Amino acid sequence: MTRLTKAFALGTALALASPALAEVTVLGWPGGPEETALRAATEAYNARPETTEDNKVELIFFSREGFFDKLAADLAAGTTAFDVNLIATYSIGRYAPFMTPVDLGSDAAGTFGESVLSTMQYEGQQYGVPTDLSLHFMYYRKDLIDQLLADTAAQQKYSEIAQQYLGEALTPKAPDEWTWRDWAATALYFTQAVNPDSPTRYGSVLQMKNLLFNMMVFQSLPRSYGADWTDEQGNVTVDSEAYRTGLEMYKMLLDAGATPADSLSYEYPEANAAFQSGQVATMLQWNAAATDLLNAETSPATAAATATVAPPAGPEGRFTHVHGLGLGVNKNAENPEGAQQFLQWLATPAAMEIYAKAGGAPGLTGAALDAVKGDRPDLAQLGDYAANYGYVMRGATSANALSVYELQAKEFTGYWAGSETLDEALANTTTGMTDLLKPQQ
Amino acid sequence: MSEVGFETLRAPQLEGFGNFADVLRDEAFWDSLGFSLRFGTLTAVLEVALGLFLAVFLAPILQRHAWLLAILTLPMMVAPAMMGLMYRLVLHEFVGPVPHYLLAWFGTSPAFLAPGNVFWTVVVIEVLQWTPFTLLLFHLAYGSISGEIREAARMDGAKGWWMFRRVEFPMMLPTFGVALAIRFIDGVRVFDNIYVLTGAGAGGSTMSLPIYIYTSFFRGGNIGAALAASVLFALASFLILALAWRFAQRRPA
Repeated sequence: MTRLTKAFALGTALALASPALAEVTVLGWPGGPEETALRAATEAYNARPETTEDNKVELIFFSREGFFDKLAADLAAGTTAFDVNLIATYSIGRYAPFMTPVDLGSDAAGTFGESVLSTMQYEGQQYGVPTDLSLHFMYYRKDLIDQLLADTAAQQKYSEIAQQYLGEALTPKAPDEWTWRDWAATALYFTQAVNPDSPTRYGSVLQMKNLLFNMMVFQSLPRSYGADWTDEQGNVTVDSEAYRTGLEMYKMLLDAGATPADSLSYEYPEANAAFQSGQVATMLQWNAAATDLLNAETSPATAAATATVAPPAGPEGRFTHVHGLGLGVNKNAENPEGAQQFLQWLATPAAMEIYAKAGGAPGLTGAALDAVKGDRPDLAQLGDYAANYGYVMRGATSANALSVYELQAKEFTGYWAGSETLDEALANTTTGMTDLLKPQQ
Repeated sequence: MSEVGFETLRAPQLEGFGNFADVLRDEAFWDSLGFSLRFGTLTAVLEVALGLFLAVFLAPILQRHAWLLAILTLPMMVAPAMMGLMYRLVLHEFVGPVPHYLLAWFGTSPAFLAPGNVFWTVVVIEVLQWTPFTLLLFHLAYGSISGEIREAARMDGAKGWWMFRRVEFPMMLPTFGVALAIRFIDGVRVFDNIYVLTGAGAGGSTMSLPIYIYTSFFRGGNIGAALAASVLFALASFLILALAWRFAQRRPA
């Protein structure tokens, strides 16, 4: 018994004291195509003959829930648990004090293009490799829209519904010509609570949970009506007709039953599940969902009939929120040289080809894009939308940008749920944003 | 207390009791406190009532088949965060079994997480998970009542409801108090299952006090205010426990 106990204790001590086999530890974005792609790229990197044993990469992931909160706490506490960590355009200002700028080498501009590289820049310095570009597509059921456009009686019904809910007898249009009002009329038409003959239960599925990412999805609507967080002098301008129009349109659709009544608890996976069920006609969603929604294996009921276009237009044009996810170097990294080497390799066309073919969504250009667009035609669309419709709200890369999104999520969802008026929600948002966006001392 | 965020974690600036004042002026703090107290009280009462009923009602069966207790207490084995995740699936209109069968059988299904229903949904989830705990306590307390006492009561003509109310329940009263206190404390500090299921809720509708502290700390990056709220929470808890302890000490007299 004593011998056994000693042997167990010794074994445990040895196991705990053993150095990790990998010497560059990378904290990635968990649970989506980004993780799959990063695993594939890492495997290829570790298999290269030039990669020495002490520079091999090991990946770690923790839950997506509260990811950026945990990362902030780790970085602020001076963690050495990882050498490379995830960053996002909207959080660079928050994390830059705890990170080291990176040199991606001369190939990087040719791989990504300057505008995509800039999504990982803060105060003129490059803080990471832009591995994934995130923006929004309008996913829609092509079969249903085609049927509507070919059916005169249906068009009459559509106009009646538009007149009743939007005060204007709109006529159906092709999705790439949609304004937000056309989209809203389409969503209402395909809602059984509004139109009992609708082939789908809901015309859309809105992600309305009190969650910062949902605010990013929502804001392309008010943006197309001219919304911005502040004016050029830094005054908060969220209490505007543009925001009012967007917020009221979402509430009208929720109240009319054009999105599930549970939508105030919906985020990315819930919305995708609703669309994949075949009971939803349209959905504004992240481009990352295309991998699943357009794949017949993962979306057997809908993939063949699903198509995508850019988000609808407003009086000021067509817009999509855009941000980059990327990987940068922890200031307290134990192996900063190894981390730099890995990131430099990741910024090459060869690495990005592996990454993209494994499901990642990098914003590529030139030869790097040509090498993958046969397998990933959506990446060409991604670059096109980012260049033509991409926007970043004024103040949305500041150190408190995430807190602004959090504040908006709480106040806007409060209005949608009916627990506060639109005036109250916008007044509270303005007060909070003014405090969060005031110049740092 | 200090003016401190993640950027100034290692160089905080002292600012007296400003953080406490900020927290006490924050409407969301009082809303979250109200949510926690309502949730804690309601779930504690329901769990204790159900646990007591089941322990007494199922006593003859549990005496013969004690292994059934292991099955009945299984929900306690599930981590609260996993419980929240599970109900995200179970209650989802398009993939969840509950809405599916309700729609199939009755042609309609309530939106369990809609603003009007979400409070009761999280209460029911909490009660389903933790009633087994009170059942276990009451089962042990009920089983520990001496057969001789019951026999003596029967000799005096006691039976049924009268026996329970006048003889058995008074003997289980200490367990009743302990169960109520433990479940109230657990309910007030609820975090995991609600946070995973609905987050802070639309407009903060499911924001318990721990969720308020968490969101202030991490999401708002307002560490000083979050710590001030934590200190206030700890002081309030201490006060409640001290009062409860004093009450318990006085009861024998």
